[in-house]
Amino acid sequence: MYDFMYHFPVLAIMVLFLGAFIASLVGRRNAVIRNAVVLIAMVTSLVLILSLVKPILLEGQTITYWLSNWEPVGDWAIGISLEVDALSLFFALIVVVAVFVSGVYSFFYMDRDDSLVNYYTLFSMLSGSVLGLVLSGDLFNMFVMIEIMTFTAVALTAFRNTYEGALEGAFKYLVVGSLGSTSVLIGIALIYSQMHTLNLAQLAAMLPGYDSPVTIIAFAFLFVGFGSKAFLFPFHPLAADAHAVAPASISLMISGVLTKCGVYGIIRLAYTVYQNVDVNVMNALKSVCNPMNANFVQYFITGVGVVTMFICVTMAFNQHNFKRLLAFHSISQVGYVITVIGLGSALGLSAGLFHAMNHTIFKGLLFLTAGAVQHATGSLDLDELGGLSKKMPGTCALFLIGAASISGLPPFNGFASKWMIYQAAFQKAGETGNFFFVVVCVAALITSVLTLASFIKVAQSVFFGQLNPKFAKTREVSLGMRIPMWILAILCVVTGLFPDKVQQWLLAPATSAAMNAAGYIDAAMGQGYAASFSIPSFQPQSIFLSGAWQPVMWLLLLVSVTLAVCIVALLGSDDKAPAISETNTDTPADPKYESFFSGEASVYSQVGGSDLFWGFKHNWRHYFSFMHNWHSGVVNDYTLYGAAAIAVALVLCVIFL
Amino acid sequence: MIFTNYLVCFFLVVLGIYCMVSQKNLFKIAVGMGLVDYGVNLLIVSVGFHDGGTAPIFNISELTRSSFFVDPIPQALTLTSIVIGACTTAMTLCLIIMLYKQYGTLQSDEIRRLRG
Repeated sequence: MYDFMYHFPVLAIMVLFLGAFIASLVGRRNAVIRNAVVLIAMVTSLVLILSLVKPILLEGQTITYWLSNWEPVGDWAIGISLEVDALSLFFALIVVVAVFVSGVYSFFYMDRDDSLVNYYTLFSMLSGSVLGLVLSGDLFNMFVMIEIMTFTAVALTAFRNTYEGALEGAFKYLVVGSLGSTSVLIGIALIYSQMHTLNLAQLAAMLPGYDSPVTIIAFAFLFVGFGSKAFLFPFHPLAADAHAVAPASISLMISGVLTKCGVYGIIRLAYTVYQNVDVNVMNALKSVCNPMNANFVQYFITGVGVVTMFICVTMAFNQHNFKRLLAFHSISQVGYVITVIGLGSALGLSAGLFHAMNHTIFKGLLFLTAGAVQHATGSLDLDELGGLSKKMPGTCALFLIGAASISGLPPFNGFASKWMIYQAAFQKAGETGNFFFVVVCVAALITSVLTLASFIKVAQSVFFGQLNPKFAKTREVSLGMRIPMWILAILCVVTGLFPDKVQQWLLAPATSAAMNAAGYIDAAMGQGYAASFSIPSFQPQSIFLSGAWQPVMWLLLLVSVTLAVCIVALLGSDDKAPAISETNTDTPADPKYESFFSGEASVYSQVGGSDLFWGFKHNWRHYFSFMHNWHSGVVNDYTLYGAAAIAVALVLCVIFL
Repeated sequence: MIFTNYLVCFFLVVLGIYCMVSQKNLFKIAVGMGLVDYGVNLLIVSVGFHDGGTAPIFNISELTRSSFFVDPIPQALTLTSIVIGACTTAMTLCLIIMLYKQYGTLQSDEIRRLRG
């Protein structure tokens, strides 16, 4: 590695903050210069991070950068450091790609809004803070970045402040989000009181051998704090409120990038700093002496993940707003990631990282299509939209790719990562013989099926069915909005077709970096520092899959089925399928029986009883009405859930650890 | 003396969270957020306090093995966290003003268009 590359991480962060500053300085009058500044900042940070791929991900080096050259003196790291190992760089790659796509999209998507200079200033600050968080090697620095991230995200959520509910969503996000940030800060204060250092590498060396209730309580606080940034249960109502009202490009950032920061924090905390998820042989031996110690955190993280993914996917059934529905699915997919991270096996962690990456890609794509629909029609109401596939064929195709990916259909990337998730849970159940992990595996499968069901409903309500006459003049969105979506769609297909290459180049280095606590410590504090605290050196775990699959074969199958459907559609006569538009109202047939177990017909609703899964919802009505009331929309209640989460985490940690 | 500090900061945090949970008035929620902030700031400062220590301001030549001073890092952290707290309060008040203009009320249980 060349010497000047040591400056790349800090430059990548600074260029985004500098972009924010210059854009607000010069961009008030001239829109072209402003856009150029933001674009240059985004591209520069993208290039800087990409150039680090070869030394860090492929050659396995670690960059430690001490700001102002405050290197550790006498083994005490007082200065602030940036430490970039493969795990940090993996998340940094996700961040810069998502920022680039979202930025390019907003140049065209936001063209009807005013005071855009504020938008781009906040957007660049948000990007810079998120990048700073994943590259940071200092706990307090992470907290500062979390706060900048929360502020800018709140401000951007409320950016279209005349939009129905925008201020309300932002206010809830701010109040309950500040509770999460406070939780992180309390955790930091408690750790500092015991350790007198905040450097992650030094903490990682000192914490595992340090047996004190205070540091365990600090873990509970930090976990809840980072969990609130990933919108885990019970913080998920915030995400739904914020996503539904934010501009689509910001929804991409919140779901694709901000939640990843929470996930990154939890991985770093559980695997590197506390090392309480047993990954090494030595730690497994330690956990035999104290079985509660290692296992409890695994059960806790996995349990939170399962609850999150199941509750959010069922909540999505109730939604009538396109983006609010997508928001619940987004958190449900983050639940998958957290679930497998808790398993503590190498396969589980790489499955989690893979799904985290895919989640950014397909969820970003879906939010951008929702934004395109909103931009073209001005509406996000699922009961009002319909039949847009004829007006917006490109967006419809993109949406179908995203929907197939998130539902885990082969050969898209969602299938590849979910397949790894099932195998990780299955293997864990086989190894431990614990019924809990069987439930996890089944819950993951059921959630995937429910996701598919929900997306069939969305596709039917928005893109197929009859067109509402109100939207007869709808036109396809501009090319500038479609290109970012196509980038994400191509990424969906490519990562789905070549999962073995992704595994080899991205996931394997990131996984071993996350588990290699000794390497992380030595890179910052000097060789032999970890050994002096008897941190076991890293033994790579081999990853083997219980089953194999051939993505190219699935692609051929998909192509041939699609061709067959097209041929039948082209050759077949049109008689049997009456034109759905105006003639439908004349036909005497009762629309009641047209769809599955439907209720009564409603105006311009694509499916009877406003819902394809009317029967399912009717049978589960008690659960759904309970959940509906539980998400009351009152900010006090959401704060109460957050405070309860902190209390529960504290009590569990005190009892079990 | 330092034990009183911990008691007070625990009391402030709990009072703040109680205020955020039970009070329906948006301004009182903002006050609750402020209370939680102050409690945490007090906690951080107390963590670095040594009884009888001097202020941590020294030249390199004055610094000896026997000099006894309070830990300067928590004070730096507290300053940062105070600034962040001020930003939170400012932003919350901004949003409350805008919410009042749009909804015409300050009651949190009447501001619930996004739910379910």
